[in-house]
Amino acid sequence: MFRRHVIKELSAYAHGELSAEESQQVSAHLLQCDACRMEFDEIKLGIRFAESLPPRPAPPSLWDGIESALVKNPAPAPSSASIIPSQPSWLAWLTTPRRVTAYCTLLVAVGSLCVWWFYQRPARAAWEVARIEGTPTIDSDRMDSTGRLAIGEWLETDEASRAKIKVANIGQVEIDPLSRVRLVETRPAEHRLELERGKLHALIWAPPRLFFVDTPSAVAADLGCAYTLEVDDRGRGLLHVTSGWVALETPNRESFVPAGGACMTQPGTGPGTPFFEDASETFVKALAEFDFEKDAIDALNIVLAESRARDTLTLWHLLSRVSDENRARVYGRLAALAPPADGITREGVMKLDKEMLSRWKDQLEITWAEESIPAARKVWRDVWK
Amino acid sequence: MSERRADEQIIESCQRGDRDAFRHLFETHKDKIYSIALYFFSGDEALAGDVTQQVFLKLFTKIGQFRNESEFSTWLHRLAVNECLDEQRKRRRFLSFDEAFDVREPRDRRSQEDFVGRGEISDSVQAAIATLKPKLRIAILLKYFDELSYEEIALALNCSKGTVASRLNRGHKILARRLGHLRHTFIRGE
Repeated sequence: MFRRHVIKELSAYAHGELSAEESQQVSAHLLQCDACRMEFDEIKLGIRFAESLPPRPAPPSLWDGIESALVKNPAPAPSSASIIPSQPSWLAWLTTPRRVTAYCTLLVAVGSLCVWWFYQRPARAAWEVARIEGTPTIDSDRMDSTGRLAIGEWLETDEASRAKIKVANIGQVEIDPLSRVRLVETRPAEHRLELERGKLHALIWAPPRLFFVDTPSAVAADLGCAYTLEVDDRGRGLLHVTSGWVALETPNRESFVPAGGACMTQPGTGPGTPFFEDASETFVKALAEFDFEKDAIDALNIVLAESRARDTLTLWHLLSRVSDENRARVYGRLAALAPPADGITREGVMKLDKEMLSRWKDQLEITWAEESIPAARKVWRDVWK
Repeated sequence: MSERRADEQIIESCQRGDRDAFRHLFETHKDKIYSIALYFFSGDEALAGDVTQQVFLKLFTKIGQFRNESEFSTWLHRLAVNECLDEQRKRRRFLSFDEAFDVREPRDRRSQEDFVGRGEISDSVQAAIATLKPKLRIAILLKYFDELSYEEIALALNCSKGTVASRLNRGHKILARRLGHLRHTFIRGE
């Protein structure tokens, strides 16, 4: 990977202007560097704003001014075949046989251009969809064994159908029964689905932050990974990561979820605190209560008491989500489980110093990356009930 | 017939003084040039119209000098860039203290109000574009209204590809920062 930061290359990277080798180096760096990833998000937002400007048609009257000026100052050495008249008379000018012929020629040329445009215009962006079983629909039309999902179209599955979507050239998503998804965007710099309800399994091999799934309560941002995401009828979501990392985020809150981890999300609150699936049932229930219910101090006490070395994932996220008083308690437990490296001070962490928090996270990630024990999904199923 | 060949034939007709060919060339490119000028000059429609006319007048009066060794679109964009920057320089002589220090008021209030009706985001993006330095602004406009590659923008601006990349990078970051408060509305509103 680039040892240096790649901030200066990010617009060119997003626009596909780098060589394959440079592009690979930038993606490898982005995978490792929080600072450059944040910068990339900012660049992409700037690009989206710039892309949103609508073109404006020129007023028809502009040509009149140009023509008058041309009549006064005729353009380049005209040939005898088509001279601009020195005394223009519109009627005469329009009806000379030469002009009529010219108009016909122009009409044919414009017609040819229209035909050419019709056949050569870029196809409306769409993803390939393959039926796995049952009869999925695209915008209410039953699909055959394969179909195409265009921007803005909904893919729906009933209780007996499943489908697989090819995400441009960067991965695939399987859609489970009783799901409804929409293709929101597909561009080199961003591919985005909306999961209104149901469940999907994503496998993405692109650089981080190119593939996103919108849900009613948070956005799942792929950081190079495989994951399952489900949304219930009330808009609540559950993310389960099987490989790599996923960020579950809203404008105000972000949860990083590594392989073996999970995170719930709820409308009005956004993403909860991530946890490992092998955590105790008591721990997960208490964490859900703390995240989504008011005044759940007892729940925080249980989380702190039940936490193990691997649960530093949860404790690290809690640091920035609790009051000052409780932050001291979370810090105490976290430091006991994984003493911070030199340069990461209690005072700094209490003030939520970004650099210190980031360094501590880097230190903790080594323990989070250990192979996870098979998931006890029952735990949060019970919690959701 | 390829698009390039069709362009060459129209340009040859223009070089012979064929007014129909002029008109065809104008109709093909006018909206892009007008949009670039309009957003370059903060939505000032009258000024954008004047600049567009100047660009095409220069194009038509100099078309005899055009040689097919270079892309016609590059040549046209260079004319548009020069016209916008020249006009900006002329107007800068008369700028107020505030404008000189980038605390700009919209020059054409009527146009600004007109934009409000088309949505807060579009209005805000246009206002943010208007606050970019001219060299960043023109790079952004060439990229997004003509979908030019970095190399084509570099030719139009007479600078290197690296400079284009740097200007676009700075432009994107400034837009994201100035419009950050609209991030959520923008993403949800699409």
